[in-house]
Amino acid sequence: MEIMRLVVTGPVGAGKSTFIRTISEIEVVDTDRRATDETADLKSSTTVAFDFGRLQFGPDTALHLYGTPGQARFDFMWDILIRKAHAYIMLVAAHRPHEFRYSRRMLAFMRQRSDAPVILGLTHMDLDKAWSQKDILLALGYVKGSQQPPVIVVNPTDQQSTTRAILTLVQYYFTILQAAPHPQVYEASQPCS
Amino acid sequence: MAINLEKISAILQNFVSSTNDVQGAALVTPDGLPLAATLPGGMDEERVSAMSAAMLSLGERIGGELARGSIDRIYVEGNTGYGILTSCSEDAVFLVLASQAAKQGLLLLEIKRAVTELKTLLQ
Repeated sequence: MEIMRLVVTGPVGAGKSTFIRTISEIEVVDTDRRATDETADLKSSTTVAFDFGRLQFGPDTALHLYGTPGQARFDFMWDILIRKAHAYIMLVAAHRPHEFRYSRRMLAFMRQRSDAPVILGLTHMDLDKAWSQKDILLALGYVKGSQQPPVIVVNPTDQQSTTRAILTLVQYYFTILQAAPHPQVYEASQPCS
Repeated sequence: MAINLEKISAILQNFVSSTNDVQGAALVTPDGLPLAATLPGGMDEERVSAMSAAMLSLGERIGGELARGSIDRIYVEGNTGYGILTSCSEDAVFLVLASQAAKQGLLLLEIKRAVTELKTLLQ
């Protein structure tokens, strides 16, 4: 059985835990605690270690999904999780532009530690205040000419939408793997013993 | 009634300075924010708090899902010392850092005492 580790990351309230809860076929291992910081304005509880979900993907592949905490004080968890990831999806809430800079920093943090392929998942796109995809990419630092990751609009509460996002991520992982078999990616593709 | 932070800090300071081989202590919220801390130099209060919360939440998860019951404490034993996490009421987690030389029985007893004291202040 091959195991593929996918990480779901992004700022607080982007929908990481919801995403994993929606797509996981096992009961999610969550580490939610009552929020007492500014997170409490958004929601009542927050992830403090990680969320874990599992999805059977074909007869001999299992996807292990890890959701990170959103706050930077948990960056040691980001570090632990991202180093083992085969690929990751960065969820960004499209209607909270003041978080784009934070998302950008988060992306930089991940990139420093991992060569794993990344895709962007835009959530909350149905809201009035949502920015357009083009503007969000710009805000995240993807200017013209720089290589943009695949972008997908996701509704973390919707089964079909999350499945599509995971499919996109897995496909992108294999595309990257075939295009440039980076030694590190290859090594990481072995299931952990 | 407001939480008496000064008193909590005093208890922590007293605990660290009067208990043999204890190097630091912190009281943090379950979502990983510092309430009060007396830590060795070079340790960041925010990081320590977040780590404590993450560890305790996973420990409690193990307690629940793997049928170990409610968690009293979590022990991290390294070759140069201990990190001991104790749940301290619903709103706080107590972390103690002790050196390898610490006598475990004594340490646990002192932690128990400090937790009782802290609990009354958190109510």
